[in-house]
Amino acid sequence: MSTAASRRANTEPRWLRVLLLCVGLGFLFFFLALPLLAVFVEALSAGWSAYIEALDDPETRSAIALTLLVALTVLPFNVTFGVAAAWAIAKFDFRGKSLLITLIDLPFAVSPVVVGLVFLLIFGAQGLFGPSLAAHDIKVVFALPGIIVVTLFITFPFVARELIPLMQAQGKDEEEAAISLGASAWQMFRRVTLPNITWGLLYGVILANARAMGEFGAVSVVSGHIRGETNTLPLHVEILYNEYNAVGAFASASVLALLALVTLVAKSIVEWRMHRETRMLAEALPAEGNPGRGRLVAPVSPASGDF
Amino acid sequence: MSIEIRAISKRFGGFVALDDINLQIPTGELVALLGPSGCGKTTLLRIIAGMESADAGQVLFAGEEATHVHARDRNVGFVFQHYALFRHMSVFENVAFGLRVKPRKVRPSAAEIRQRVNDLLKLVQLDWLADRYPSQLSGGQRQRIALARALAVEPRVLLLDEPFGALDTRVRKELRRWLRRLHDEMHISSVFVTHDQEEALEVADRVVVMNRGRIEQIGSPDEVYSNPASPFVYQFLGNVNVFHSRVHGEWADVGRAGGGPEGEATAYVRPHDIEIEHRPVVGSLEATVQEVHPIGPLVRVELAHASELIEVELTRERATVLALAEGQQVWLKPRQVRVFAAPSAAMEEGGSGI
Repeated sequence: MSTAASRRANTEPRWLRVLLLCVGLGFLFFFLALPLLAVFVEALSAGWSAYIEALDDPETRSAIALTLLVALTVLPFNVTFGVAAAWAIAKFDFRGKSLLITLIDLPFAVSPVVVGLVFLLIFGAQGLFGPSLAAHDIKVVFALPGIIVVTLFITFPFVARELIPLMQAQGKDEEEAAISLGASAWQMFRRVTLPNITWGLLYGVILANARAMGEFGAVSVVSGHIRGETNTLPLHVEILYNEYNAVGAFASASVLALLALVTLVAKSIVEWRMHRETRMLAEALPAEGNPGRGRLVAPVSPASGDF
Repeated sequence: MSIEIRAISKRFGGFVALDDINLQIPTGELVALLGPSGCGKTTLLRIIAGMESADAGQVLFAGEEATHVHARDRNVGFVFQHYALFRHMSVFENVAFGLRVKPRKVRPSAAEIRQRVNDLLKLVQLDWLADRYPSQLSGGQRQRIALARALAVEPRVLLLDEPFGALDTRVRKELRRWLRRLHDEMHISSVFVTHDQEEALEVADRVVVMNRGRIEQIGSPDEVYSNPASPFVYQFLGNVNVFHSRVHGEWADVGRAGGGPEGEATAYVRPHDIEIEHRPVVGSLEATVQEVHPIGPLVRVELAHASELIEVELTRERATVLALAEGQQVWLKPRQVRVFAAPSAAMEEGGSGI
């Protein structure tokens, strides 16, 4: 009786629970599941052959390739700079540290279109470096370098943001221990720091990757929309849609959605691993002494037990 | 190997962490740096280890200048308060770390490493935990593994930063006795930092009492306890009753009106150095019993003398003989008093009697 009564005492009435559940699930369905479903339904509305044909279009294939190329180029930079920034912020005290943290957050705060315009102003024909770039026949804006640079800017904070709290929580004791044991700076980083941040780093990379593949606004400004050359997948979707090519647009969108789904699965796996590891870290110390083993017989020092 | 600290100073912004510290640690000694938090003891230890750089002064190892030697080349073993075990490595790999990162020329072979690590794990009596991860160990086990890891590189000096601070009382007591025995077997110069006076007095050969970035006293545990050099040491090492008095040469006249021209002074008496009598004797103080608490093997009696509260510790036997009751009138006679001139810290040896 008491358990049933106490359960009733700290739960809401049945009708309220059902209502809240329906509101929550309904929201999830209409705003998340339904649009995703619609993408695939629309893409396949003219049948499988039309879908395959739409994807087989050379311009679509070039857009997919460009998107993957940009993402793969950006990630190594993101990893390097993200780890370096997080390392500096988490393990050292220096003047201007909070300014650096603010700067790292800047890409989150600025609208992507503004980012694109800023880079247009710097590297464009009338921009800051425009004339000297043109003199050396280097194309940044309306070409691959421009797309990579803005994507780099947009995705910069993800890795650093993910690592800073993790590295701060871990402190620098382990690094100091490694140094006092004679490790070089590289050995310390390779054997102690990096293994400790592996999962956090991977998580940051996945988020940055999702953003790099899906970025529209900033890329749209600097890409110049040259079909088959500087059109990334999101830009390509827009162009096709504006041309009333619904099947083509949704087929391309479905590729993006698939990439997103893969990212999500990878993210949940990493999250699960990270969760497991933080739980292991946070686990309270096991009870002092190991009851199963009985007391340790000490050969050297009789009184030291199994503490 | 001996350690010498010469005129070390360190500031953090406006905070003076260490102020002109001079200290000699002879080979093979176990020295405790004892003091309240913020007294600079951990900073001093980290400067010896090379993890912190001093603003001024020198550190010498075996008479050789080591002030600018990098931490990784100092060959010191460092044990952290929170163990700092490598969380992603097994116990075995933790202990093996210092050997594995050695340059190839001097690195022992895989078989030698295995042998060395197993020997060390036996030394700390945890060889059955070799395959576990740090998160699967208890606090005491972790600290013993941390010690084995530090010893693996055969350090010339062992430095321990509050090594038992994160452990519960019973484990702490067992572990510190074990450390003492280990030190007696290995005879490696060791410095450990603690804020626990009992720990320092029990384990160390010598105790360095620190306060506000300065050394207050250096001496054997018995010396610093029974012959404190300053009021701070008196109060930091155990309980003490403080009497404000007037100094007459060697004679402290506590709590009485009048007084000579010699000036203000303060007398310090340990609670167990006060005798309680039922009738007045020469040089005794009148007091009223306020409360009687039996605490374990001792009986703590609180007495009131004028407006001051005096604490006395008696053995159970003595308390039974006295049969004290609350509100009873008694006379106190100190066995040992120490008088320091106030307010300047100039020390003056006090006579006995109040």
